[in-house]
Amino acid sequence: MLNPLRSEQEAFRFLLYVAVVMAVVVGIVLLVRALG
Amino acid sequence: MEAATAHAEHHHGPPAANVSSRVEAQFLGMLLFIISEVMLFGAFFTAYFFVRVVAADDWFPINEVDLPKAIAGVNTAILISSSFTMHWALEGARNENRNALRVGLLTTALLGLTFLTIQVNEYVHLGFAPHDHAQGTIFYGLTGLHGAHVFVGLTLLTFATIRAFRGHFTAKEHRGVEVPGIYWHFVDVMWIFVYSTVYLL
Repeated sequence: MLNPLRSEQEAFRFLLYVAVVMAVVVGIVLLVRALG
Repeated sequence: MEAATAHAEHHHGPPAANVSSRVEAQFLGMLLFIISEVMLFGAFFTAYFFVRVVAADDWFPINEVDLPKAIAGVNTAILISSSFTMHWALEGARNENRNALRVGLLTTALLGLTFLTIQVNEYVHLGFAPHDHAQGTIFYGLTGLHGAHVFVGLTLLTFATIRAFRGHFTAKEHRGVEVPGIYWHFVDVMWIFVYSTVYLL
């Protein structure tokens, strides 16, 4: 399981996951706002 | 003597009293520190969401003053790039590539410094102060808290960079780079949350 506090490699991978997930969330919210 | 060393290497009993059997002290210290930091940021985010809920639609722009989303977006790219160079530096340490280690650490520190400079410049030109309204208070509070963490990260990186140029760190022993690296990625993760919620949403 991914543990960002175990090593720098896992912390870096966690950062990439967060960046992708937040980009998707922000994209969906802005799209819903634009359509609404 | 050799027999004693061989015995120690194959010893599966309890560790020495001052040594954890699972986590090294430096990693444990950073782990506990980051957990406490998550709670600190959690408190600030709670205040932020409280202001957003209470103020309803009254988030920026306020009095025709908006947040500089594009500039902050470029700043976000700069900070995320610094995580890539940090990772590159550590890979350099792991592979005994001293140039990659040195250049990676130096670039990371410079990118972090650039981020902080742009943020200070943003504060100067924003057009509102922390005491103008609750939105301004929480904006400066949250971004300022993060900026303080970037400053701490830069201090750690400066030490690591100086040590790298002095010839420290090997493929086996590079905790002095890895521990600040974990902290630096944590600071970047926090900024992604701050930028997404404060500027974009």
